[in-house]
Amino acid sequence: MKMDARDHEFRFSQGVYERLLLAYPARHRAAYGAAMAQLFRDQCRDAWTEAQAWGLLKLWRRILPDLASTSVRERLAALKERKTMTEKLASLFAFRIAPISAFFRLFALVFLAVFLASVVITFILPESYASTARIQVEPDAPVAGGPSPAYVPYDPYFVQTTFEIMQSQRVLEPVVDKLKLNAVWGKKYYAGQTLQTADTIEILKQRLQLAPVKNTTLIAITVYSDNKSEAAQIANAVAESYQQYREASRAELAAQGLKVLSDQSAVQEQQIRESQAALVDLQKKYQISENSKPTTDTQPYWEAKQNLEQLVASHQLLLAKIEEQKLDMHLPKSSLAQITDLAVPGRAPVRPNKTVDIILGAIAGIFLATTIAGALALWSALIGTRARKAAVPV
Amino acid sequence: MAKPDTDPARRLPLTPAVFHVLLALADGERHGYAIMQEVAASTEGRIKMGPGTLYGTIKRLLESELIEESEERPDPHLDDERRRYYRLSGVGEQVVRAEARRYADIVAVARGKKLIGKTALFSLPGGGL
Repeated sequence: MKMDARDHEFRFSQGVYERLLLAYPARHRAAYGAAMAQLFRDQCRDAWTEAQAWGLLKLWRRILPDLASTSVRERLAALKERKTMTEKLASLFAFRIAPISAFFRLFALVFLAVFLASVVITFILPESYASTARIQVEPDAPVAGGPSPAYVPYDPYFVQTTFEIMQSQRVLEPVVDKLKLNAVWGKKYYAGQTLQTADTIEILKQRLQLAPVKNTTLIAITVYSDNKSEAAQIANAVAESYQQYREASRAELAAQGLKVLSDQSAVQEQQIRESQAALVDLQKKYQISENSKPTTDTQPYWEAKQNLEQLVASHQLLLAKIEEQKLDMHLPKSSLAQITDLAVPGRAPVRPNKTVDIILGAIAGIFLATTIAGALALWSALIGTRARKAAVPV
Repeated sequence: MAKPDTDPARRLPLTPAVFHVLLALADGERHGYAIMQEVAASTEGRIKMGPGTLYGTIKRLLESELIEESEERPDPHLDDERRRYYRLSGVGEQVVRAEARRYADIVAVARGKKLIGKTALFSLPGGGL
């Protein structure tokens, strides 16, 4: 019976301990697991001999803290070993060859990777064509009835305002309608689904680039597209739409000015009628005939007559201005926005610029390769030096 | 792996567990259980190494080449052939000697200061392995 009880306790304890060995790293278990289990069996035997089941309990009381602390220690050591392996891997070149040679190998590797990536990307990027129309723009002249047309105040925001107007719905919507871009781009990019005008305008804005031509009143309207003809058509359509917008704006301004003048004329006519009536009354009051001479008593009549004559003269001037304005509206004149260069389809794609991209890729490759290879070679050299200097810990 | 330092003085001081294991192997090669018994006997049962401590120490001693695993068995008929035997390496012997001398010097100093008597037993620190 005693032997059976011992065997049972032994088997149970050994089974538990062997499972607890899983707390150790696999490499440690592979190297020492069997020996540890053997040692535990020996200790179990001693413990049983010493105090039977109580001895086993006392053994477990010693073994469990030992197992807990040493398994943690071995786990940490395994982590450290892993770090060492990483360092070895990272410093693969440095441990086996000289740092200078390691640097050049890494440099060549990184440079080739970056350079080849830039070449591949350059050649797989979709080609994009650009077409540019140029338009001369002038600020609006003051409205009729205002300051002299010869005087145009300087507007520091004129160019920026013009850019914003060129990208406005009022200018771009006619472009979208004229070229049927909702349907064309819907078919091309959105599986035939007709786009909303607002969406098309957003896409158009992304393809539109506006820039002032230095020291001139010209603005360059550049449009990018994967279709060279489409790029030119859109650029010209934007220029024309802006020109039409400016002409319409000018006509609106002229009409508004004419209305102001007409209103002034109507007011003057009313004043003239009232003055004429008042003069007739004064004529009756002072019994003034055609041959009457001005006297002190009839002074109010003569003053009223003079005022009326001035008013009529002013009114005649105003009427002349209105006629001039009406005539001006119908006369041909230079536009405030004049298209100077129509866009033509580009001969070669502008994006990607293969030469520039490849040169940039080479420069980026040199920079990255120098940085990475330098840092890794230095790091590896430091690790190697430290490893050589360090004593093996016990 | 970098080659361990062969200068014994640079390995000192040793941890108590390492010193006890090296002392246990000073008489000759032993397997794990025998090392544990020797340590327990030399410390009058105050130190009983668990399997984790013992084999963790053995692992580190092997890595630092202070001990080596023996291929030979003292008597295969008398022992389990699966047991692994360990013995001091040349460097290990130098190191354990140097550590023993270091302790002896410390004991001499302690005696000079009359902290311990001439018959005081040499007791290692770190009894709770």
